[in-house]
Amino acid sequence: MHLIEVENLTKRFGGLTAVDNVSFHVDEGEIVGLIGPNGAGKTTLFSLISGFLKPDSGTVKFKGESITGLEPHEIVNKGISRTFQVVRPFHHLPAIANVMVSCLSPRMKKKLEWLKSPERKALDMLESVGLTEMALEPAENLSHGDLKRLEIARALALEPDLLLLDEPFSGMNPIETDYLTKSIVRMHLDGHTMIIVEHKLQALMKLVRRVIVLHYGEKIAEGSPKEIAANKKVIEVYMGRVT
Amino acid sequence: MVASYFRRAYSSFVTHILDVPARLLAFLFSILLLVIPLANPGLYIMFVLVLAAIFAIFAASWDILAGRTGQLSLGHALFFGIGGYTSAILYKYYMLPLWVTIPIGMLIAFLVAFFVGFPCLRVKGPYLSLVTLAFPLILISIFFMFKDVTGGEMGIYAPSILPIPPYTPYELRLAEFYVSMLLLIVSSIIIYKIASSKTGILFVSILDDELAAKASGINTTKYKLLAFAISALFASLAGGFYVHFLRTAGPSALVLTMSFFPVIMTILGGIGTIYGPLVGAYILTILDQYFLKTVVPIPDELHAAIYTAIVIVLVIAWPRGVGRWCVDKLEDMQEVREEEIEKKIKRKN
Repeated sequence: MHLIEVENLTKRFGGLTAVDNVSFHVDEGEIVGLIGPNGAGKTTLFSLISGFLKPDSGTVKFKGESITGLEPHEIVNKGISRTFQVVRPFHHLPAIANVMVSCLSPRMKKKLEWLKSPERKALDMLESVGLTEMALEPAENLSHGDLKRLEIARALALEPDLLLLDEPFSGMNPIETDYLTKSIVRMHLDGHTMIIVEHKLQALMKLVRRVIVLHYGEKIAEGSPKEIAANKKVIEVYMGRVT
Repeated sequence: MVASYFRRAYSSFVTHILDVPARLLAFLFSILLLVIPLANPGLYIMFVLVLAAIFAIFAASWDILAGRTGQLSLGHALFFGIGGYTSAILYKYYMLPLWVTIPIGMLIAFLVAFFVGFPCLRVKGPYLSLVTLAFPLILISIFFMFKDVTGGEMGIYAPSILPIPPYTPYELRLAEFYVSMLLLIVSSIIIYKIASSKTGILFVSILDDELAAKASGINTTKYKLLAFAISALFASLAGGFYVHFLRTAGPSALVLTMSFFPVIMTILGGIGTIYGPLVGAYILTILDQYFLKTVVPIPDELHAAIYTAIVIVLVIAWPRGVGRWCVDKLEDMQEVREEEIEKKIKRKN
């Protein structure tokens, strides 16, 4: 049984088909990359899986059970958490409270019971992304790189079975990119399953074993980074037709 | 033994109240208010102070919903009116004492909040404000349909808080004043506790970014409903006390103006703070009922114009709220003081 199975997922916005009959699956412990030119429907696909958008047709199965059409918070509590392309911190709350919101979800309440207070768990998560010193600082005072890490801490605090990272490297300088690459590798070694949407192919290709390519909402290729780099269709999409 | 206990109590008082500007301000303010009656300021000033305390509770209740979760309700008079009318109607038919009827009114408002909140909270932003705006007006027309029960335009009688007659008017006012202060202080403390609890954190997360809160696994609808209901609870408490203070439960408790009062007061004092709505309520009530009537008597036809003009000037001058501005100033002063102390310590070393 696959961890997540997406079957014939379709989403239309008016006349535009943002996601067109896409199927794929991800097994436990995998890191899968999801790439494609701007407007290929990658973020829409994420939103469909995490429940922020409702698909027009198709199903999403998680651990063998259908989660199509559930509310976002229900899906999160089943074990899929996501980050956003543009950071969405809670500006008025200090960094630690930002993470605590995740720890107060029903999923974590059940998991933490008797073992740890939500405060402790939130502090541990901040420590794992290197933000301990900023714990009491309101999120509005944090730098963009810090907010990106805070976003990941918030998603990881849910101890997800599947993590959807939407452009985690966007707006990061080389040092931060390097740091994040290392933490993703560490998360992978810890057994986290991830799907990563990314534009910075160089950073992405180092991380993943399998890549899915979307173009105008359709899946045009799937395979190892090497196969994808050699795939004619993919090169055409990215570079234009070679004549 | 006793001395050490007092020493400990004193030191905890210093660290928990005197050293926190907002709390120090609240402490001084409540002492001042509790001392005022000793100076025997007369019936009218006491009337204004009780009214201000009632509006302060009302505004604080609106702030839980709007300042914490960001749901701008413009129909808060609904709960104010329900609290008031329930209490008066129960007295009319069953002669129940008001310490029974006001809690029943609060309970009903709490339940109504769930029924009203469910459709209301499905819409967002300006749409939510418009939908909530309608509810008190609907309730007024329902009340006018059942004139024998609700008294229609005239309203119905509600007894004063002291049931047995041998007392002077001033003694009654004094009793009302102390009860209103007690209610205000207790509800402010409860609201403060809610705001600083874990539930309070979730409320603010909804204000900041509802989508992100959902992505953190929070059932935001549930928490918005909870905020709505808690807010209704305190609004109906204020409403219940209000009708027993004015001796009538009439449609004036449900009119549009009554819905806007807490909004203006909270924004003037500082939205999203505990002290803001209280500061706003006292400033506006004293300005409206006392300053523009007794100190600078203004003819009735100009009263509304000048009153609103002053409010506009105040809001433009302190867009983040008068109360918040004061507390920010105090905190700045405290930082300077702490830095000086640090310097002194360094010099000694």
